[in-house]
Amino acid sequence: MRDSHRYVMLLSSLPYHGTLFSAKVTPLSRIRLQQRLSLLEPEDLQEVDAMAGLLDWYRHPVQKSDAEIVKLAKQVIPQLRSPFACELLSWRLEMRTLIAALRRRRDGEEITVAEDEWGYGRWLTHINKYWDEPYFRLEGVYPWLPEAVMFMEQGDPVALERLMLEKVWKYLQRMEDGHVFDYERVLIYLFRWDLVGRWTVANGATAEARYADLVGEGLLQIDQAMHSALSG
Amino acid sequence: MNEFVIALGWAGMYGVMALGAIGSIFGCAVAGQAAIGAMVDTETGHGRYIGISVMPSSQVVYGIVVMFTLQREITAETAPALFGIGMMAGLALMFSAIKQGQACASAIHASKVKPEIFGLSLAPAAIVEGFAVFAFVFALVVAGSIPG
Repeated sequence: MRDSHRYVMLLSSLPYHGTLFSAKVTPLSRIRLQQRLSLLEPEDLQEVDAMAGLLDWYRHPVQKSDAEIVKLAKQVIPQLRSPFACELLSWRLEMRTLIAALRRRRDGEEITVAEDEWGYGRWLTHINKYWDEPYFRLEGVYPWLPEAVMFMEQGDPVALERLMLEKVWKYLQRMEDGHVFDYERVLIYLFRWDLVGRWTVANGATAEARYADLVGEGLLQIDQAMHSALSG
Repeated sequence: MNEFVIALGWAGMYGVMALGAIGSIFGCAVAGQAAIGAMVDTETGHGRYIGISVMPSSQVVYGIVVMFTLQREITAETAPALFGIGMMAGLALMFSAIKQGQACASAIHASKVKPEIFGLSLAPAAIVEGFAVFAFVFALVVAGSIPG
């Protein structure tokens, strides 16, 4: 039996993250978080690193294929000692698989039955079978699918991201029942920290401001190039 | 057989204090770790956190008092009563201290996020303390009727 109060000190030292969409920044920086995580037992820390290596997008170069990530998932998940961690990670990857399937279909791609390396989880065959159905006949299991498809069709990635993050946040709320100061609660905190981090980066206003800066910068360079060409 | 009964009597007399101490050790350790964690994350209120974390130490004091109340000549007549009262009161004190420590850890964690609920967050720990007091007081009352 694992000690339900094993990480009481670690969890008390982590600042409260607040509600998802009210956060402006992550409750503590990545460096500080890493420092605090040194309080984890070595085997738990190793597991957390393996999970982060799979889920953090920034750790995957753009040229890395879906098949490579799926292969990594198939290596990492069976090695996790905690059933809770397996469930959490599998659920998250299944959700990403669904979104990937929707994007592929929107882009006119086809998935052959033999190809099972484009996604992870129990729905691959099901999605293949019901590829032409609007929600792969999974709207009963994932009631948010129609809304996600609508945002995708409207070309609104921020709303889609918001919806996804909200669903993960609520799932984590359900999962945290019965976990107060244990390893599972640490995992939930880390997942939440990641969600807050992603939202504060994907936040519409921030993204718009960044986009405007980039466009402005680009236009300025064009303007300077034209000016120098004309004067030269 | 007689020696075994006498040994049980000694176990009951000392056990109440020992079990209370074991509970206080676990309770204070858990609450203390929460207090240290909270101090890492906050700039003020450290004294409060430490104050809460020592709440589970009262059980060992109750155990000591009950032990002295039970202290008498251990004979075949008194030993069963000493064992029964001492062990049962000891177990109650031990579990109350462990659980009170967990309640204190939660109170520290919650009041760190919302300092305004500091007083209310202590209510569960105080209720657990109340049960420990019941076990303590009635152990004293029942100990009065042991012969010898």
